[in-house]
Amino acid sequence: MTTSNQSPAAVAATSSPPPVARVEGRQSRRRQVLDAIAGRYRFVPVVLMLAVIWAFFTAQDSAFMGNRNITNLLVQIVVTATIALGIVFVLLLAEIDLSVAANSGAAAALTAILVVNHSWPAWLGLLAGIAAGAAVGLIQGAVVTQFGVPSFVVTLGAQLMLLGAILVLLPGGTGQVSLFGTGIATLSSTYLPPALGWALTAAGIVAFVLLRLLALGESRRRGIGMSLVREVVAPGILVGAASITAVAVLNSYLGVPLPVVILFALLIVFSYITTQTRFGLHLYAVGANPDAARRAGIPVARAKMIAFSLAGALAALGGILAASRLLGVSASSGTGTVLLESIAAAVIGGTSLFGGRGSVWDALLGALVIGSISNGLDLIGAETVVKYVAEGSILVLAATVDSILTRGSVFARATK
Amino acid sequence: MSKETAAVTTAAPLLELRQVVKLFGGVHALEGIDLSVRPAEIVAVVGDNGAGKSTLMKIISGLQPADGGEIRFDGKTVELRRPVDSTALGIETVYQDLALCDNLDTVQNLFLGREETSSLLRGARLRRADMEHRAQETIRRLGAKIPSLRTPVGRLSGGQRQSIAVCRSTLSNPRLVLMDEPTAALGVEQSTGVLDLIRRLRTEHGCAIVLISHALRDVLEVADRIVVLRLGNKVAEFDNSDRTTSSDQLVAAITGISAP
Repeated sequence: MTTSNQSPAAVAATSSPPPVARVEGRQSRRRQVLDAIAGRYRFVPVVLMLAVIWAFFTAQDSAFMGNRNITNLLVQIVVTATIALGIVFVLLLAEIDLSVAANSGAAAALTAILVVNHSWPAWLGLLAGIAAGAAVGLIQGAVVTQFGVPSFVVTLGAQLMLLGAILVLLPGGTGQVSLFGTGIATLSSTYLPPALGWALTAAGIVAFVLLRLLALGESRRRGIGMSLVREVVAPGILVGAASITAVAVLNSYLGVPLPVVILFALLIVFSYITTQTRFGLHLYAVGANPDAARRAGIPVARAKMIAFSLAGALAALGGILAASRLLGVSASSGTGTVLLESIAAAVIGGTSLFGGRGSVWDALLGALVIGSISNGLDLIGAETVVKYVAEGSILVLAATVDSILTRGSVFARATK
Repeated sequence: MSKETAAVTTAAPLLELRQVVKLFGGVHALEGIDLSVRPAEIVAVVGDNGAGKSTLMKIISGLQPADGGEIRFDGKTVELRRPVDSTALGIETVYQDLALCDNLDTVQNLFLGREETSSLLRGARLRRADMEHRAQETIRRLGAKIPSLRTPVGRLSGGQRQSIAVCRSTLSNPRLVLMDEPTAALGVEQSTGVLDLIRRLRTEHGCAIVLISHALRDVLEVADRIVVLRLGNKVAEFDNSDRTTSSDQLVAAITGISAP
């Protein structure tokens, strides 16, 4: 991530020719910072924002940073983060899915009906719900790719249809299904024993460091110089410290909640897929330049359909986790702020609305920002209107930052 | 107008187009074009706007199938209906818009669509180190100047991006590289670099090159043979193996107004 060896011709070709050399230097330094924030270090401003939010609410009420509230906060963000993870995939491809919230509600309703009214085992009901969500996503992806209909229209229409489906699925009289005492409900009430929490954390950190070391070794064997500190030690310490702190806090209360484990398992798997595999790379290529991807032989339509299916499946899982926490499904499942919060989480976390840029971890970071604001405002007893205004304005702020980074950085060319 | 010499006609052609026709509705974009390209030969196709250069390029690269005539490659009749038909024969295309992904780095762009990965059992990981190593070799052999292989290509200059597109075309060891206006967007210095790259492509890889270009000076500098199209017809062919064709001759052929 350095432009020091960039020739003057390169600078002149990519920005307007500066009148004097000093201006050129200042401009390239500004570009350097923008490029770093738009690229590898996109998480830094988000983490800083999170730190400010946490400091603010801790100053208001010291209970905010208590182990009980942190546990609550993490459980609260799981739903948003899971749905936002799916949104990251569609945003990477420069598409949008406005049906995820309704899809989450419909899938939860389906699972609840199957488990409660038809006595399906909880795991089978869960899988059926996720499969239904994925199928809904796949159909939308097919309409978008095969007929070229803009995804925001397709998914907006699907949202209304899915809200209708929820009303059809739920029983006429009460309009709700209680999940109390079912296997679905135990999903949210299960906490890992402290030892298991530590064991999983240790395994995760070791796997992370080993994968990094493997890549470093492969590069060095090929004579490609890579920094041990920058590629292995620094990220290892960062990831290790963050996860150990989090697990220590959670273990000091009830242990690591099962939904949090599920979320992290998903993040790790999808992080691997997006950064280490061919399919992941193709997602970024399709998002940045679909024509180039097509000419390189990448199946563009298939990539999009997979992304929409993933968004649907993850929305369904998020909806079922929400139902598990709320112990039931009703006509209000998947409505309210669910859609805004999950899209906002992805964008606030750093996934670009313009395609080709983002990371699955953005879903977690963004959900933490949104969740912390919501949790903190509840804690200090702020009114709902304050919450709406705060969440709405932070989404607009994040989208503004995204636009500035997109225009001012290397990615300007890709999205003009 | 043509001055075919014995030297040009001796080697068996690698690519041969015979009476190739392309229609768009009732309009003849190409009205029976003959073109032959011998191994390791640089053939330039020039012509005014609407002469049929792009159509010809799209036919050879497989983007648009021809409506009539015959295409032979290596002496065998072939059908070029899709881009994969051409790439399967060893025909690579460097598009005018370069077809690069600005958010990906040089290595990722070079191997786009043909990434090397480990087996599924070993995690289906991208073999990043191997690809980066091969990228380094390719770039060194062609003498391209890329500051960092890990920089997103959106940050590179026009000449560097053009070099990456040219390097990418060589990774599959092609027999023929088709280049669409490779110097159109470049300054003088960068154009010179790309022309060097084109010459090295021939000397290092021994592949034939079809150059579609507006830039007559560049064409006169690198091409062994220059084919002139006008309104869908081949109107002239110059042997430029001794680099003696003049730009007046070319302009006259392109415009149809004979030189004084």
